Amino acid sequence: MERHEICYASDRGKLGEISEFIGEHARHAGLGEDDVYEIQMATDEACTNSIEHAYDGLTSGQIEVCCYVEGAFFVVSVRDYGRRFDPDTVPVPDVTAPLEERSIGGLGLYFMRRLVDSIEFSFDPVQGNQVLMRKRRDSQ
Amino acid sequence: MTTMRVNLKRCDLITLEGRYDSETAPELERVLRESMDAGVYRIVLDMSRVTYFGSAAIRALILAYKECRRFNRGDVRLANVTDRIRQVFEMAGIMPLVQHFDDPVLAVGSF
Repeated sequence: MERHEICYASDRGKLGEISEFIGEHARHAGLGEDDVYEIQMATDEACTNSIEHAYDGLTSGQIEVCCYVEGAFFVVSVRDYGRRFDPDTVPVPDVTAPLEERSIGGLGLYFMRRLVDSIEFSFDPVQGNQVLMRKRRDSQ
Repeated sequence: MTTMRVNLKRCDLITLEGRYDSETAPELERVLRESMDAGVYRIVLDMSRVTYFGSAAIRALILAYKECRRFNRGDVRLANVTDRIRQVFEMAGIMPLVQHFDDPVLAVGSF
């Protein structure tokens, strides 16, 4: 099973390249364009979370993005070595509330959960923080 | 990514182009801020050339929307939301809430 991995500094300027990297391999894995867009977006949000929360927006951290095919799924892993967070403590935005009442936190994580078929978080003092996202290859 | 603001009589027309992620969303915020700081709270966003609009950009949009609608002084309206971006807006639950038009001319005219 071929794994493709890129490693970047925690720099928002790299998000476009990360998106292209994911797009290329997602297409190769047979995902249709809608699914490619969705996994690109989920990855973008995950990387943004690492930059903003794990590394407090500093570019001195490291982000590893890896993708591969595993059976019926295209899998993307985003790993950082910064501060961990508890996804269960992030408020779920109320997407039915009138905008005047909206609080704006938690949207990135909410999108990630909606855009992929499964998502797992793991936090390890040595291995770092990882989010693993799976997207079905045959849904279109 | 380029964000261009034109001051019209009825409102400001802001034309968005390209990718709006957490790197480039601040530029959108800045341009929206320019309008509001100039006392313009009626804003049309032409979305026809947007290729990507992530959560950071949506946050900027929601914040501007809230501020413009305060005291009934204005609104943020959208023109030409393409299917991909519409999907994202549906997910965020903002499609039913923000007025949107097929054409920026119609959006401007709605003010």
